[in-house]
This record gives sequence, structure tokens and C-alpha cells, in this order.
Amino acid sequence: MHGIKRKDWTKELLRQKRVQDEKKIYEYKSLTGDVLSLRDEYIYSTEALKKTSLLLEKNPEFNAIWNYRRDIITNLASELETSFWDKELIFVMVQLKSYPKVYWIWNHRLWVLEHYPGDSPKVWQTELAVVNKLLEQDARNYHGWHYRRIVVGNIERITNKSLDKQELEYTTTKINNNISNYSAWHQRVQIISRMFLKGEIKEQKEYIQAEISYIINAIFTDAEDQSVWFYIKWFIKNDIVCKTLDKEEYLQMIENLRENVLLINNDEIEFSGKQNIWCLKILLVIEDILEENKALKEKNSKEYLHQLINADPLRKNRYLHLLEHLK
Amino acid sequence: MSESLTLLREKHIRYIESLDTKTHNFEYWLTEHLRLNGIYWGLTALCVLDSPETFAKDEVIAFVLSCWDDKYGAFAPFPRHDAHLLTTLSAVQILATYDALDILGEARKARLVSFIRGNQLEDGSFQGDRFGEVDTRFVYTALSALSILGELTPEVVDPAVEFVLKCYNFDGGFGLCPNAESHAAQAFTCLGALAISNKLDVLSHEQLEEIGWWLCERQLPEGGLNGRPSKLPDVCYSWWVLSSLAIIGKLDWINYEKLTEFILKCQDEKKGGISDRPENEVDVFHTVFGVAGLSLMGYDNLVSIDPIYCMPSTVTTKFKKYPYK
Repeated sequence: MHGIKRKDWTKELLRQKRVQDEKKIYEYKSLTGDVLSLRDEYIYSTEALKKTSLLLEKNPEFNAIWNYRRDIITNLASELETSFWDKELIFVMVQLKSYPKVYWIWNHRLWVLEHYPGDSPKVWQTELAVVNKLLEQDARNYHGWHYRRIVVGNIERITNKSLDKQELEYTTTKINNNISNYSAWHQRVQIISRMFLKGEIKEQKEYIQAEISYIINAIFTDAEDQSVWFYIKWFIKNDIVCKTLDKEEYLQMIENLRENVLLINNDEIEFSGKQNIWCLKILLVIEDILEENKALKEKNSKEYLHQLINADPLRKNRYLHLLEHLK
Repeated sequence: MSESLTLLREKHIRYIESLDTKTHNFEYWLTEHLRLNGIYWGLTALCVLDSPETFAKDEVIAFVLSCWDDKYGAFAPFPRHDAHLLTTLSAVQILATYDALDILGEARKARLVSFIRGNQLEDGSFQGDRFGEVDTRFVYTALSALSILGELTPEVVDPAVEFVLKCYNFDGGFGLCPNAESHAAQAFTCLGALAISNKLDVLSHEQLEEIGWWLCERQLPEGGLNGRPSKLPDVCYSWWVLSSLAIIGKLDWINYEKLTEFILKCQDEKKGGISDRPENEVDVFHTVFGVAGLSLMGYDNLVSIDPIYCMPSTVTTKFKKYPYK
């Protein structure tokens, strides 16, 4: 159980619950018995389908019943109108609203979409609107983002058109709403990598400069949250950036970032008397890069690590390990 | 750590023992689909608490066998439910913990192995059952079950390892499939799959450092671990994160004292059991991963648990190590 407050059950409350549960259990068990018997007799009828609806409304986590439901639908498919599939999507949505984290329900929804008659982009485009709504309510829903990638992939497959640009903009919107939306930063990495690989970005150098400004702006907005820092760590070390910029441009970009990170850290010291631990962590990465490129003038890594041991004691042993292996 | 915080060992044992007597609760029947997993979680917690005899062995084994789905040739979570990789692993783990795998018999074992192998897809991934859901959870489940049965082969292992590597992310984490966001539970399934296959060496030194970094950043100031950046702490990550760190030999990259305190604060002092966060409702899932995490940190003479299999080390030392000689 996740996120459910502990409850103190008095004897009276327990007695009441027991009385209520007795009836519910009786009904549930008899319905379960009925549906499983129909399944065992290989009954694939609309009546049986209705019974699975009743049972799944009581318990949408009952995966064997979702399985039976799919078998029924598969057997009836030739008689089913398009309106059936639309109704099925509505039925699943009702369950998803109450149980947005149950894998079985997501699986069933995907199965319905994959079997929806006629391979038209329309049903997937409607689905994209559904995902948008879901991610508005819970911007980090792990299933939601995974599902979004699948939906977008299907639209791209059917229309044979890339949605990368639109999806990149979507991550920008999500990040601008909340800079700590790590799911959006993750997605941004996927899309930018793909766009470079497919040659979807024309002015590549300009693009990289704009992105680094965007990132620097983000760390000035909130330097505490690790999301953007993980993104930076990727951005400054990945092949796209290293190969697109010539060495001088690359080192200039790194140097510029270093100065900004130092500035943020100094602001923090002035403001709170403490170092910003993420500034220190990224300065270590930056010094490694500069050293590899023989462009490091003064190495402070040892000092940063000692500062981190004090400022970020939870991860002390990692810093001791890095100190030990310092070049 | 405050002095009053100790592990309520006896209470947890009584809590786990009581679970199967709750048949008058509607919730008991709504959770049939988790029953076999639940027994594995309960039994493993009892083993860590050094009280495996709390469950009646013969009854448990009889229940496991009653979950056999003869249509598909594997284990369902409950009699008359459908076979799935997740519950098949639980069944195999329970039988192995009781040193009772022989009870399967040759014919049933052969069907079981063919069910697991039959769910591997062309790209090396595994689907959970015939409906095609792909997730690195199922790669782990399949490899772990085959390993316990001593039935791994290069034909299964090599493509599976390749698939796992495709799930490795830019940040040092692993996702549920290629391109999916890093999640601590997926770090465990991916690293566990590689460890079972004896293929951890496909990861470079730099990758191992990155993985360790991402994992240790899961610890929050209150001591608990989260599963992804900017999420709340949760006791179950005491297992997913710690076991992953243990597998790559960086267990001490998080602070034991603070994590121990967090886990102990999640105990229900009245009825026993451990919850996801302090003051929340307890369940057997968080109870096992709480005590298993404590065991990895060497807390108070708890019985040693194997970070790769999440089973008592005394049981897993008997498994045939892949590649087989």
C-alpha cells in the first residue's frame, strides 16, 4: 500500500466493517465463481462480457479477468461495431481514473487501441489528448510518460511523420511549468539525441548555444533541484555536443558554464553561508572535462571533494572514494 | 539515532503470521492476484527475521502447487487465476527456499522452463504473458527463475543481456524498456539480471561509477530513499536501491544510520509490520523490503540476504552458477 494513512480501528469500527464486508465478500466471491466458470467453459458472449465488466468494476486489478475479457472480444470481433471499441475505451478510462498506477488497466487500454478497427491516426491522436490530460493531473506519472512515448510512436508510424519537434516543445512547456520535472528532462534527452541523429536540426551549433543558455537560465532559477543538474551532466559530455562544436567552441562553452556555476555557488555562500552541493558536484565533472582536454589551469577537485564531505554527508563515502582515485 | 528505535522483530513475525487469517476482510479477496507474491514476501521476511517455521511449510507448498495453471504450464497468483512470469518466479522462490523444488517433477519442470523461454521476444526482452507487456521486470523474473531451476542457456542469456544494456540511460539509471525514464526498481531488475547472467563486466568502469552516483542520490535528508529524482522516500527503495548498490560493490555510498532510522520509524508499533512512510498503513511488501534492507546493512544479526535473488544467502549459495561447467 502506498500513501495510505494508518487508521486506528476501534472494536466498534471493526465490528461494523466486518458486517459490511461479509455481504461484499459473498457477492464478490459468487460473481468471481460465475465468471471463472464461464471462462472455463470457453463462453465468449456479450453476456459474459457484461459479467466481466461487473467484476472488473469491483476489482480492476484482477488480471485473469482482463485476460478473459480480451479473449471474449477477440472471439466476438467480427460482430463488433466501431462504437463497441469506443465504449471499451470509456470503460477502461473510468477504471484508470480511480487506479492510475495499475499496470493491468494500462495494458488493456493499449490492447484495445492496437486492435481498434482500421489503422487510423485519429484514435491515437485522441489518445494523445488523453495523455496530455493525465500528465496535467500528475506530471511525473511513470506509466503516463511511458504510455505517451507509445502513443506518439504509433501516430508517427501511421502518418509517417516525425513528431519530434512538437514533443520537444512539450517537454519545454512541462519544464517551464516545473523545473523539477525530471520525467520531462529525461524525455528532452531522448528527443534531442534522436533529432540530431536524424538530421532534424539544421543550425546545429546555434541550437547547442541556445540549449546551454536555457540550462544556465534553469540553474539560476532553481539550483537546489537535482533534475537540471543531471541534464547538464549529460549535455556537456555527450557526443552530439562534443562533435558538433569544434574544440575551441566546446571549451569556451564549458568555461562559460564553469563561471556561471561558480557564480551561483558564491551567491549561495553569501546568502546562506553554505556551499551549493550540486554546484560542487558539477564543478568536479567540469574539471575532469577540462583536464581531459588539457585545458585545466588550476585544479580544485580535491578541495571540492573535501567541501562535499561536509556539505553532503549522506554521500560521504562516494566522495572519499573519488578522493582516493583522484588523478 | 534515537535510543528508543529498535526493530520490533517479534511484532513483525506475528503480523506476517496473521495475514492469512484475515479472510473476513474484503481486501483479502480483492488481493488474490498478489497472493503468491505475498507468500514469497512473507516467507522471505520471516527468513530474514530468523523465523521461517512460522509458516506451516507443508501448507504453503500445497498452496503453491494449487496455483499451477495447467493450461499454460506455469504458476498463477491464486488457484484458477492465470499464469504469469511474476508469479512463476514467486512460486519457484518459495519452493527453493523450502528446498522443495523436486516436488515439481520432471514433466512439470519442463513445461515451466518452456513457458519462461516461450515468453522471450526477438529483441531479447520478455513479455509477462501472452498479451505482450514488455518490461525489464520480466527479464529479471525470467532469468532469476531459470537460474534457480539451473536452466539458463546462452540462447536465452545473450539476447537478454543485450536488451538490458539498451535500457541503460544517460543518467546512470535503467528504464523499464529502451528510452524509458530511469527508475530505482529497474536498476535492481537490470543489474540483477546481469549479475545472474554473470555479465556485470559488460558495464564499463565509468558506467559503474555513474550508476553508483545516480543510486546514492536517491537518499533524502530524512534518510529514506526515493525511486526517482524529486519523489518522496519510500521503504521499498531500501531494497531496490541498496541491493543495486550491493551488486556493484558500492553499498556504503548511502548513509546507513539515517536509512536505518527511516525504516524503523515506518514500523507500526502496535500491530507490527512496516509501511512505505512513517504513519502510513503497513503491508507485507514494505515489511519484507524494510527488513531486507536492514539485513543488507548488517543490522542487529538479521539473517543475511542475497542482493541478487532477494532470498536468504544460505539458500542461494546452493544455486548453480552460470555459465555452467
